[in-house]
Amino acid sequence: MSPRGWAASATAAAALAAALTLAVTHWIERRYERAFAFRIARTTAAYVAAVTPPPPPPPPVRRRGRIPRPQAPITPVPQSPASRTYHLPSLLTQARGLRTLPGWTTEVEVYYGTAPLVDATAPPLSPDDLLQLDSAGGRWREGSALVPLKDRDGREIVGAVAARPLRVPTGPLPGGLGFAFPAAVLAVVGAAVIAFRGRSLRSGGYVGAALLLAAASYLDLRAVARSSTDRWLTDTRRLLQEAATRLPPPRSRVSVSDLAALVQDAELVAGEPAESAPWRARVDGAPRAIVAVLIGSGRWVDLRTVPAEITTLRWLLLLLASALVGPLGILLLRWAERTPARKRRETAIAWGFLAPAGLHLLVFTLGPAALAIYLALPLANFRTIVHDPLTWLSMRSTGLYALYVPVSVVIALGAALLVHRYRVGWGGRLLRSALLLPYVTSVVAIALVWQLIDQAGTLGLGRSGWLSSPATALPALMLLALYAQLGGQTLVFLAGLERIPRVYVDAARVDGASAWRRFWRITLPLLRPLTWFVVLTGLLSAFQVFTIAFVLTQGGPRVLVQRAYQLAWGGGGGSGGSQAFGMASAFAILLCLALVVFSWPRLKLLGRYAQHA
Amino acid sequence: MASVTLRRLSKVFDGGVQALHHLDLDVRDGELLVLLGPSGSGKTTVLRCIAGLEEPTTGEVVIGERVVTHDSPAERDVAMVFQSQALYPYLTVRENIAFPLEMRGLAHAQATRRVLETATRLGLQSVLDRLPSQLSEGERQRAALGRAIVRGPQVFLLDEPLARLDAPLRIELRAEVLALHRAIAATMIYVTHDQAEAMTMGQRIAVLHEGRLRQVGTPEEVYQRPADVHVARFFGTPGMNVLQGRGRAGDKGRVIEAGSLVIPVELSTYEGELQLGIRPEYVGLCAVDQGVGNVDVLVVEPLGSETLVHLNAGGQPLVARLPGFADVRVGTRVGVKVDRRRLYLFDAAGAPVA
Repeated sequence: MSPRGWAASATAAAALAAALTLAVTHWIERRYERAFAFRIARTTAAYVAAVTPPPPPPPPVRRRGRIPRPQAPITPVPQSPASRTYHLPSLLTQARGLRTLPGWTTEVEVYYGTAPLVDATAPPLSPDDLLQLDSAGGRWREGSALVPLKDRDGREIVGAVAARPLRVPTGPLPGGLGFAFPAAVLAVVGAAVIAFRGRSLRSGGYVGAALLLAAASYLDLRAVARSSTDRWLTDTRRLLQEAATRLPPPRSRVSVSDLAALVQDAELVAGEPAESAPWRARVDGAPRAIVAVLIGSGRWVDLRTVPAEITTLRWLLLLLASALVGPLGILLLRWAERTPARKRRETAIAWGFLAPAGLHLLVFTLGPAALAIYLALPLANFRTIVHDPLTWLSMRSTGLYALYVPVSVVIALGAALLVHRYRVGWGGRLLRSALLLPYVTSVVAIALVWQLIDQAGTLGLGRSGWLSSPATALPALMLLALYAQLGGQTLVFLAGLERIPRVYVDAARVDGASAWRRFWRITLPLLRPLTWFVVLTGLLSAFQVFTIAFVLTQGGPRVLVQRAYQLAWGGGGGSGGSQAFGMASAFAILLCLALVVFSWPRLKLLGRYAQHA
Repeated sequence: MASVTLRRLSKVFDGGVQALHHLDLDVRDGELLVLLGPSGSGKTTVLRCIAGLEEPTTGEVVIGERVVTHDSPAERDVAMVFQSQALYPYLTVRENIAFPLEMRGLAHAQATRRVLETATRLGLQSVLDRLPSQLSEGERQRAALGRAIVRGPQVFLLDEPLARLDAPLRIELRAEVLALHRAIAATMIYVTHDQAEAMTMGQRIAVLHEGRLRQVGTPEEVYQRPADVHVARFFGTPGMNVLQGRGRAGDKGRVIEAGSLVIPVELSTYEGELQLGIRPEYVGLCAVDQGVGNVDVLVVEPLGSETLVHLNAGGQPLVARLPGFADVRVGTRVGVKVDRRRLYLFDAAGAPVA
């Protein structure tokens, strides 16, 4: 490929990634706008239902009189008892009144049956639209959120409310293009400049451009999310104020609880006078978007809701991924340009072989990890976890439990030395088998047998219930873990001992080292990397212990993973439900981070040793 | 310094393999003796028995005046250099050299001085604080030598210390070991499978074959007067030609027939199966029917200073070593001349025939 050709394809890759990122941003923004549209449509429907009076008592029945119906119905309005349906002229007034509310930001339409009330010339709904609303509770139709309008008792659907969000301009540039579009243009131009002029910062420059683009897109996204909350607050504020004056008599003084029925997914509390613009504040540690509403002379309430922008952080991952498609593509192109055809082919084949394992990794490891991160956001989950005393209690239990690891490592080393020393005799073989047997046995089986022994009181310790007593359960657990792990650790040490070249020991013997000194000066240093490996893997598995604790001691020492399990599935301080998964994910991520931080230096050290050996 | 004496030394390993057969060997005080043999001949086992790393099945090991057969290595005051160097990978060169001193409980200041002296002698001052993995192959071997000499033991045992090195480095270090031996005048037993190394280094060479000591002598003795056919084959590059033959009294007098060769030999006392040894440098080529027999040329190896010609003498291999570039064609038939004064005769068992 010619340099210019390469630069052109690099630019194309950058443009593709930029377009992808913009598309992703747009898609997420649409999600927020739709969510807003559905929400304001529901609020409007609730408002309309609350302020519209029932039809007046029917006039005396006349045999061949007109049945009161809206003009030009295409399908008959579902029949409801008169007291539950609406007074149509009032409904019409209310619906049309929505358009004239000052500061109202949304285009709404109210349908009675399938007939539009606000804009009478608009096309009516089809009968199917109404039928589908019944099952789904709301659907997206022709750029609007369509939600059902139920009768006064909330039983049957008598119409629909549609809300179409108006696009709010964002960003610093005229025309409301937002940050993402100019950033995308800048990123593509930057990539082209680097590619064509062969500047030295190269990959760093590409990645930088991609990060810039992702950040800009995120800013836009956040702005849209924020404005969607603000608009709902502003519009709902208008509705509440209207409702306060229009709620049908006999209510002379409207109560907060009456209004709260209109905004079931938000909080309405007594408040102070304030500006009409929404603001952000923390309420009991949780972020809230608030607007003050005047519902009578001198009576103020605060309308509070969860701000949508706190859920934007999870989308940053997606934005980063799509923005980084550019640098990755460019690096791939550069690799392909610089690599001979044969090596390219071999690499492609190698990846072909790696693909099944890679796919498995992606679907069953990386995917769930990404999902956990997605679920764990917003960050409030982490704060809750850190402030939860049960977290630290389980941390303490697990930390104490992990103390068995150094003990078992020392014992395993001793056992390995013994087996190695008598490896040719039957004694060594017997010992080896005895050590390995628990290791190859299922942990659950061992745990159950221990439980049986414990219940029977035949542990030889004079009494039973060691596993259920709070004071002794943890030591008993440690003992069992030691018993189950010892064989594996011994095996690793044995392999290490076999690998020590005999010449080191011979040389030390000729140099006059005693057996004791040979162990401390030769064997142990040569086993040191392996010892760290055994200690580290032991500690890592100790911190991830779940099985034996779960099987043996329900309600005993609660270890970390058990706590995560409880958070997710409920029981013992966990709540269950979808938010619980977020908490459990946050917990798992914190645990994972702690383990990485804790084991990283040692793993690095291990890598260095491996290079020397 | 001390002498080393092996008396009727035998070693039978656990699997029943007899590695050594009643070995008698006397290494004089201050001597550099080379223990030479092909792989599997038992030379390393001899060394390990002297060091105390193996216990002999029967026989005695005497160092100086003391019988040490059942003493531990630490009690024998010997030092050993291994083929794989055996430098501890996690210790610096300084710590490696100091290790034997430390094990013997030498005072720190004294040990430091000795380590520095040793390092200076071997040119290792600049790499004292490096790990073995950061050294060149030659430096590693020097460090291993340093660890052996730092203590000033009675006897040095060197087990193929140079076998791993490439040729130029091997020659360089060979000279250094010799210089070292002269400088410290220590008793050294040097094991090698390389006869050229044995020839250049040894004051005396002990040749080991299949666990038996075949000959002990100066390099000249073992080359010129090999004690048996194994020793004869072992020395020289390439080794001596050994042809299977038979003595016969014919009409032209007494001859030895070996393959296609018929060599007149004054041999009064023996008739029957014989092994005829002749070194390649005493084999010459001539026109067909002009020599003691005709042979086919199989391979020609021109080496510059000489040419090796591999021949087929009636089914038996024969190598001739000719000076310079010899004009010999592969696949041709030529005559063979031999220097009859340089013939070695062995009986079927390999013992020399007078």
